Amino acid sequence: MIEILQQIVNGVAIGGVYVLIALGLTTVFGILGIAHFAHGSVSMFGGYLTFFLVTSWGFPLLLAILVALIVGFVLGMLIELLAYRPVRNANHINAFIVALGLTMMVEGLNLQFFGHEQVVIPTNLSRVFDIGGVTIPELRLYVIIAAALLIIAMTLFVEKTKTGQAIRAVAENRDAAILMGVNVKTIPLVVFAISTALGVCAGVMVGSLFAIAPGIGEWLVVKGFAVLILGGLGSIPGAIVGGLVLGVTEALAAGFISSAYKDVIAFVVMIAVLLLRPQGLMGKA
Amino acid sequence: MTKRLTFTTLTAMMALTGGMVMAEEKTLDIGVTDALTGGAAVYGLPQSNAVQMAVEEINAAGGVKVGEDTYMLNVIAYDDKANPTEATNAVRKLIDRDGVKFILGFCCSGATGAVASFIANEDAVMLVGNAAERSITTKEIANLTRTRPPADYTGAAAGTFVAQKGHKKVAVLGALDVGFYASYVDAFEAELKKAGGEIVTRESFGLKDRDMSPQLTKIRELQPDAILVVGYVEPAAFIYRQAVELGIDVPRYGFTSGSEEQFLRVATSEQMEGVWDLRPTELTLLSASENGVAYHANYTEKFGIAPSPSSPYAYDQTYALKHALEAAGTVEDTAAVAAALREMPIPAEVVMQYLPVDGKMFDANGQAYTSNGAFQWQGGNWVFVQDLPSDAAAYSAFLSTID
Amino acid sequence: MKLRVSHILYAAALVGFILLPQLITVKYYLHLSVLALVWVIAAQGQNLIQGYTGYVSIVQAGFMGIGAYSTTLMGLHFGLPVWLTILLAPFVTALFALFAGYPSLRVKGHYFAIVTLAFNLVIFIVLMHATDLTQGEAGISGIPKPGREGGWLDFANREVYYYFVLIIAVAMTALAALIVRSRIGQTLIAIRQNETLVGAIGIAAWKYKLFAFVTSAMYAGLAGALYAHYQSFINPEIFGLAQSLDAILAVIIGGSGTILGPVIGAFVVVFLPEYLRFADSFRLILYGLLLVLATIFMPRGIVGVVGQLWARMAGKATR
Repeated sequence: MIEILQQIVNGVAIGGVYVLIALGLTTVFGILGIAHFAHGSVSMFGGYLTFFLVTSWGFPLLLAILVALIVGFVLGMLIELLAYRPVRNANHINAFIVALGLTMMVEGLNLQFFGHEQVVIPTNLSRVFDIGGVTIPELRLYVIIAAALLIIAMTLFVEKTKTGQAIRAVAENRDAAILMGVNVKTIPLVVFAISTALGVCAGVMVGSLFAIAPGIGEWLVVKGFAVLILGGLGSIPGAIVGGLVLGVTEALAAGFISSAYKDVIAFVVMIAVLLLRPQGLMGKA
Repeated sequence: MTKRLTFTTLTAMMALTGGMVMAEEKTLDIGVTDALTGGAAVYGLPQSNAVQMAVEEINAAGGVKVGEDTYMLNVIAYDDKANPTEATNAVRKLIDRDGVKFILGFCCSGATGAVASFIANEDAVMLVGNAAERSITTKEIANLTRTRPPADYTGAAAGTFVAQKGHKKVAVLGALDVGFYASYVDAFEAELKKAGGEIVTRESFGLKDRDMSPQLTKIRELQPDAILVVGYVEPAAFIYRQAVELGIDVPRYGFTSGSEEQFLRVATSEQMEGVWDLRPTELTLLSASENGVAYHANYTEKFGIAPSPSSPYAYDQTYALKHALEAAGTVEDTAAVAAALREMPIPAEVVMQYLPVDGKMFDANGQAYTSNGAFQWQGGNWVFVQDLPSDAAAYSAFLSTID
Repeated sequence: MKLRVSHILYAAALVGFILLPQLITVKYYLHLSVLALVWVIAAQGQNLIQGYTGYVSIVQAGFMGIGAYSTTLMGLHFGLPVWLTILLAPFVTALFALFAGYPSLRVKGHYFAIVTLAFNLVIFIVLMHATDLTQGEAGISGIPKPGREGGWLDFANREVYYYFVLIIAVAMTALAALIVRSRIGQTLIAIRQNETLVGAIGIAAWKYKLFAFVTSAMYAGLAGALYAHYQSFINPEIFGLAQSLDAILAVIIGGSGTILGPVIGAFVVVFLPEYLRFADSFRLILYGLLLVLATIFMPRGIVGVVGQLWARMAGKATR
């Protein structure tokens, strides 16, 4: 029993990271219809930047994260303006290929700036809590809490603010939103800025809890898309549920079935959902 | 359409100009193919640097004396990104276009296997460095030698060592999709079984996995006497940390060959305390010979970064080649040079501590053997504790029985 | 008039390809040309699903892997002759493609790209871990060449293998052209242009999409099989995500939705790195930039650009 609980706790931590990645992907997808494949690499760029500011320039961690967030905001808007906007009205396949090209570029830039050795953002949090036999390292707990807070903030933003409502309006019915006077030129910018900032947060979490290294970003974005399929493309509750389901599934698969094939098992679950419930766990039929 | 025609002629033109090798009097081109970029560059780039450094030393000391002539060496290095297709391309280019007959480098098993599969038909000599997959030297390819011993040679020694410590139930967590890591574990298991022990589980992780807590949770439930961690240092470092976090307090053994710096990036020194690394006695300052200390100093000065522990495999190749060329008295007859390599005693300049077989550096399979060592993390450093019981002659005989 | 010009050009290209081995003095470029021809086949397949049908598939290299491993393993375990296993490899690949394509193509749009990508990862993981069958990362070496030992054609000779692959590549290109001109091909193009409309007139678009996907996988399987017997060595590394991206790149650069595009694109993808050696560390950035710029500014690739220039010149000449 303790083993199962421990595995679920293990899965929730990595699941929280998946949720943050998926939230960025799902807002971009739901509103702009773009499969933003470069999201993972851009997120890792945020993590790398935080690491660099902390270790080379001696920034305190929170300040470094703040700077990385601002850079993320700007970077997100630039990506929208320079790369995606020119192919806006073309076939959706073009946007996807632009996304693949962007991924290669950002991966290359990361490699050029930060090298190929893995980096870990130093935090000095090494206590471990033990709750009735289930152990959880301090850092993991904070990551889970931070992810939860970000998810709540994101939900509040979309539900309660004016910009959030405009974003939802565009997502639900683009033409109607235009008629109602929503500025469809600035909405994509806002969406990319927010999604990239969420990605930067995920990058910092991955970088402190685990590590940032070449290829990790692509690996994460694949997981993020798997979450979208599980939860339903474009659905925010879907990203939350899907991310947690994927994280816990992987942990249970590795713990009780086969660690070698845990990713394959997660993939089979994804295919099964696709067959039985094509709109995803939380998507509308 | 017209574009393609010009493209074809362009290719043909490039081919023509490429064919004119700029050969100076008494310069011998040698080739290097290795991972200079990409994930495996951690291993490949230092190897390429090491060859370059050895060549400069050899040239400064008067070059290679072949019969009447003296040759200066010149290195042509290509990046294969540890990819089999790219490695094949690089070697084809070295042989077909650059007219190179002696090819060094080869950090990684997949790329090396691809080249080894055809090198027997080529007029060339292939000197393999860090690639640890056993099958590379089981086919008795006459024009191939390797400085690094196969992983299972080390795994067997490690198994004996752990069995001697009295452990009966060992849990394995490794990059078992990688052939040579799996063969390390197989050989480890065979020795452990002889002493009445067993491997209670074999858990796997991928190159990009950093969260090992699911596997470790499973291992915790099995209550082993010890765990064995086998894999690349970057993911492996997380296993040591997360094992402590999950409260696993049994002895931890490993085969990762990571430096102190690489581990401390991930785990604290307290979390690492007492971990064993059971591996070939590669370059660590504590176990190094005089050559090793000089190598470390020269490399650090030349490239501004400390050499990787496995990079001397390539440095030693270069000196082995020099002596083989001089012994064979030819730079043309590759069969004679390949034969001379197999007949050669261990050169004085090498950095690794090789165990000769019948007084020779390479055995009949073209395989060299280093000693294996037990290193332990003590107070922030890897400390050389003892040699592992390794029998080069017996392993060499065993290697000859496989095909 | 225009038709005749293009026919002359096709013929000239074919003559060029036939003469190529005689023009090449350094065998290394012959080696690269064989690889490029193998990529022509894979890229023609990729073009069917990506260029004509408008669905990005990110599993072409994975399917090449299935083709390569199936031809090798069938030869190894069942002792089948090489020519037969090469013929069977595409059909084995097709089975896997059905499995991946059926669930993802029945639902709309973007699922497909993501599922195919995940499928490439799964293929890679299984090839790495199923070591009893595939020998994992260490790979399988000594894969036999086609033809009998001491037969009148020596397939170990690169020139012979070049012509062997050339014949197949030309045949597969011709087959692709036939498919595109058929009713099925026209339906595929219609799906690319407006899938909703195709559905509205009562055509089950997913069947056509599945056909395109499975056919493209068969092309990949064939290319993989030819690769395996040419190199005599395979391991999973060759069939990863990066190579699938190369297939996409080949179609985009050459000209997606054209018959000649993949031919040009395949040669560019294989030969370009040779001329970019100076920029090894920048290569990823450069490739990415190329892909982005090409998609934005020349969405129809080299063929599109040349075609436009040609049309402009022809327009001036007649004026």
